[in-house]
Amino acid sequence: MAKPEFVYVTYIETTPEKLWDALTSSEFSERYWWGTKVLSNWTVGSPFALEWRGQVTDTGVIVEADPPRLLSYTWSNASEEFRNERPSRVTFVLEPYGKLVKLTLTHEDFEPGSKMLEGISKGWPAIMSSLKSMLESGQALDVPLTALKIEGVE
Amino acid sequence: MSKPEFVYATYIETSAEKLWQALTDGDFTERYWFGHRVTSDWKVGSPYKFAKQGAGTVEGKVLMSDPPKRLVYTWDPCSPEAKRERTSRVTFDLEPRGKVIKLTVTHDNLDEGGKTLRDISGGWPMVIASLKSLLETGHALPADLPSCAAKEKAHG
Repeated sequence: MAKPEFVYVTYIETTPEKLWDALTSSEFSERYWWGTKVLSNWTVGSPFALEWRGQVTDTGVIVEADPPRLLSYTWSNASEEFRNERPSRVTFVLEPYGKLVKLTLTHEDFEPGSKMLEGISKGWPAIMSSLKSMLESGQALDVPLTALKIEGVE
Repeated sequence: MSKPEFVYATYIETSAEKLWQALTDGDFTERYWFGHRVTSDWKVGSPYKFAKQGAGTVEGKVLMSDPPKRLVYTWDPCSPEAKRERTSRVTFDLEPRGKVIKLTVTHDNLDEGGKTLRDISGGWPMVIASLKSLLETGHALPADLPSCAAKEKAHG
């Protein structure tokens, strides 16, 4: 059986440095990630957190950080619903392709039948699309969060 | 066991009508699909064909055409190797999400471990990324992207 994981590849007209900034700066992330702030000092072993509307929604630890090529962190959702799930892992690989950067996102280490996997599979395509728009046109997307139909997200 | 399928979703700031046109108009596809030009009358049962510099690359038949919501066609690459594989199928779903369109490409009925599965898994993210760039910024991604990617793969 296939491993429960989510993989998403996209190509963005930007530089690896700018894309790295967009992935690690909370001012940037707020713009393309529905107001979510990514918080960390981005060194291996340091804590990582996502903050949304003043609340920490997800936490983890930086597993790998090799700017501007590779970033990997663990990810646990703080809500009651996902408390029983083990931490999953998010990895971003940035590869220059001429004037573009190929961005590969892998979200893995899920238990079979994970509810978290179901939610992030709906969330990441919208976040990655918005990130690409912001870097290429200067403007992030305005996708209504409720339109993603993620369970537990109002 | 589940048959291999490839699903790719993206969100594009455009209208469903413009996105439909981008998927079905040869002048449009030539710009973002790295030189591949599509031709069809897009009626159910009609043939369609992609060609690059006049040489056929992919062909098939229109299975469903419901503008600007859903387009389904069969997918037969014009290479001898792919010809030995079964005919696969591509579905485009266009759904408005606020001011943005969610585009979902589903490519199914693929041979396990086949050349087509390998090619389209690498190809769709490039084509869709380029389509999104063209619709949002007015210019597509560089036309040599697929050949750069092929070189990377050969070296990697």
